[in-house]
Amino acid sequence: MRLCQRDSTAFDYLYDHYSGALYSVVIRIVRKEEVAEELIQDVFVKIWDKINSYDSSKGRLFTWMLNIARNQAIDKTRSKEMSQGRKTDDIDNLVTKIDRQESAELPIDSIGLKETLMMLPEDQRFVIDHLYLKGFTQSELAEEFNIPLGTVKTRTRMALKELRSILNVT
Amino acid sequence: MNTQEYISSGILESYALGEVTESERVSVEQTLKQHPELREELRMIEETLEKLVFDSSLTPPAHVKEKVMSRINSSSKTEAKIVALYPEQVWKYATAASVAIALFASFMAFQYHQLWKADSIELAQIKSENQRIAEEYNVVNQKLDKIQGDLTIMESTAFIKVILKGTDNDKNALASVYWNSSTQEVFLNIQQLKAISKENQFQLWAIVDGKPVDAGVFDSNFAGLLKMKSINGAVAFAVTVEPRGGKENPSLETMRLIGNVERNPS
Repeated sequence: MRLCQRDSTAFDYLYDHYSGALYSVVIRIVRKEEVAEELIQDVFVKIWDKINSYDSSKGRLFTWMLNIARNQAIDKTRSKEMSQGRKTDDIDNLVTKIDRQESAELPIDSIGLKETLMMLPEDQRFVIDHLYLKGFTQSELAEEFNIPLGTVKTRTRMALKELRSILNVT
Repeated sequence: MNTQEYISSGILESYALGEVTESERVSVEQTLKQHPELREELRMIEETLEKLVFDSSLTPPAHVKEKVMSRINSSSKTEAKIVALYPEQVWKYATAASVAIALFASFMAFQYHQLWKADSIELAQIKSENQRIAEEYNVVNQKLDKIQGDLTIMESTAFIKVILKGTDNDKNALASVYWNSSTQEVFLNIQQLKAISKENQFQLWAIVDGKPVDAGVFDSNFAGLLKMKSINGAVAFAVTVEPRGGKENPSLETMRLIGNVERNPS
């Protein structure tokens, strides 16, 4: 595989192909453009540095990159500069705050995504929204919202199974 | 193991999210190896996540890519130096380089061979042309020398010009003898003379003291002046037709030309 040989042309393709998806994940979690721009650079440099450790027998390349991006973004929100006004806020405030910030600050065109998520039952949408769009881990979600971890996991499963048919994954 | 229960637990989703402990991860990977239906399930989970995220793609500003590429290029340069130290890699590059050089050299050799072939053919042509021109030059030069020599004789006041005119045997015949009375040299020039058979030759006679003296034989196919035998005290010159090689005494009935020596007034 050309990427494993760290071919920069291949990396160029990789960036062009995946940067949009990964950037959208990062910017939803950190919610600030300038932070997201810095972060997505770190993400791709990390992908570049660790590409040799990616094992295609253990999963898809995108999943591997997605988790790098997601973990980098989550790490960022845990750092001091990002810690104010996030998960320590009470839930109602958080939800309204995020909604307000997203509509006011972020040029995120997620109409298609929102439509997709709206097709999910409320409890499943909540899980996916927090895991993928807001950067919670399953454990954090369970802890923050007082849901048993097992329930978070099965809801995640049910949501993804539902999405599977919505998105025509066969 | 009941794979349906395993799937229902949502462990594969957690695995896909990277949200499993190290021991769970090892366990999941082990289980995946044994059960193709679990691998298929994981593939669909991953594809679903991928589609979900791609549907919400958001292109980062262009300058981000530039920064990423420059960071990557600066890191790969330092790595390239390390790589170059491995003998195996060096061999690869050396082999590649030598193959490239060999191919290039072969190509250039072929090119130069073609050029050389073309050049050597051209050179041979030029050489033969040169030789031909040189030969022609020599011929022309000899002719020129001859003409210059003839001209010197014809113009010289030391030579007496004796005009020989045709007899009844060849009325249109015309020739000249240039005779230097002090050096006794004799030159013949023919303007007009009827051809004779190959068995015969013309013979020039000088009349000295009332007797014909052999001045040499000739064929009519020459240009300019022909040097004949030296003659002293001639009063007239004549040309007869004789058997090839000439005779001691002229056959008067075959006479073609005759002319008297007219002394210059000086």
